[in-house]
Amino acid sequence: MRDPYSVLGVSQNASDQEIKKAYRELARKYHPDNYVNNPLADLAEEKMKEVNEAYEAIQKQRSGGGGYQQQSSGYYQGGYQQQRQYGGGNPTFARVRNLINMGDLNAAERLLQEVPQKSGEWYFLMGSVAYRRGWLDEAMQNYNLAVQMEPGNLEYRQALAMMQQGGQAYRPYGGGAVVDGMDCCTTMLCMNCLCGGCN
Amino acid sequence: MRPLRDELKCRDFDLYRAVYCGLCAAMRRRYGWLAPMFLNYDFTFLALLLAPPEESFSPCRGRCHANPLRKKTMYQPTPALDTAADESVVLTWWQLRDRARDDRGWKGWTALLLARLLRPSYRRAASRRPDFDRKVEEQLRRLDELEAEGCPSLDRAADTFAELLRAAAPSSGEESRDRAMEQLLYHLGRWIYLLDAQDDLEEDRTAGRYNPVAARFGPEGDRDAMARTLDHSRNLMYSAAQLADFGCRWPLIENILYLGLPLVQRAVFDGSWKQIQKQKIWRNST
Repeated sequence: MRDPYSVLGVSQNASDQEIKKAYRELARKYHPDNYVNNPLADLAEEKMKEVNEAYEAIQKQRSGGGGYQQQSSGYYQGGYQQQRQYGGGNPTFARVRNLINMGDLNAAERLLQEVPQKSGEWYFLMGSVAYRRGWLDEAMQNYNLAVQMEPGNLEYRQALAMMQQGGQAYRPYGGGAVVDGMDCCTTMLCMNCLCGGCN
Repeated sequence: MRPLRDELKCRDFDLYRAVYCGLCAAMRRRYGWLAPMFLNYDFTFLALLLAPPEESFSPCRGRCHANPLRKKTMYQPTPALDTAADESVVLTWWQLRDRARDDRGWKGWTALLLARLLRPSYRRAASRRPDFDRKVEEQLRRLDELEAEGCPSLDRAADTFAELLRAAAPSSGEESRDRAMEQLLYHLGRWIYLLDAQDDLEEDRTAGRYNPVAARFGPEGDRDAMARTLDHSRNLMYSAAQLADFGCRWPLIENILYLGLPLVQRAVFDGSWKQIQKQKIWRNST
């Protein structure tokens, strides 16, 4: 395992407060919300795991080995469970979902093209294939159709909502309105807000 | 693609200029006097991205190509600069050739002349980067076909340039880095292509040319939808960039991605991009 301090990007003699801050910033960076349906989600999950382990190891060291505070570890674990199992439905769609998760998009699309009946799920999966390719406009069109056909389906609605907000990613320089108020003070203010306010 | 200078630390600004000058020197060293005339900020950014994370900046001095009386601080010669120099020549040559073919006016003739002059350099560059050369040819041909048939799919048209740029990063031997880099470059290519299309919307309408934004949303385009899809591509670039290590070049890359790109995007939408393009980054330079 790599030196836990270098994983968190802090020096060996950093204060507990500094370590906590560095950890929270990294956890914010690799948070599962920033990698929803992202083809790189597995890499982010690995990073998150590494960061969590490093933080735990430092906590353990500093509290003298044994009884370190349980509540601080595993803050951000869980949440990276994208490969949910969908029982019961159409077996072809289950296979398509598997293929998408494995990154075999051409095979997934071929399989979908063979399905005669185009349901909400069909459009949703077509949208997912497009999204994984980076074809964002077509993904949005397909998610739209999926929601129109099955307005009650939460999964389709979430996918569409993500498209409508233009995706999500970690941002330094104080998040959202990056350039709009780009004088130093605003930036610092925003930074302070985010550093102090993240959960 | 350029940094937002006001937000750069001095050392990062020096680094940027050194990479720019270093790339110019690499082009001159490898391809003679003509190639550096096609030096641009986009390939400077590529050179920054391609450097391996552990590589440090050890400045060296060299003569400026534009003004041989002056000496400039340059990034040391590296494989990443060579790659960027080669790929820049390959792409420039293909683009000149396309313009010479499509444009019947004086611009077309100039492009034809430049393509002729650049041809020996191109052949050398293509033999050094055969895969990239093949990819550029293939994707530009695909783009031609899509334009000819008036392709109504925004994504399909953008995919050509995105795939082209994705191929610009040679394998680093580390799978996770390559995957992150590919996503970053794919969406960078997509973003550049679509923003260009948005910028050219009016001009293409007047000239009666194909424009992917018009083909998808009608002659007036759809500013909200375009902004949203461009933002989304930027977000996918950001999430990819966070997963790769760029060593000492990160603050500069971060500035370009998080401040430079949104600035350009906003400028295209409010119509000030043409002015910004003319601005020199090197004002007050010594």
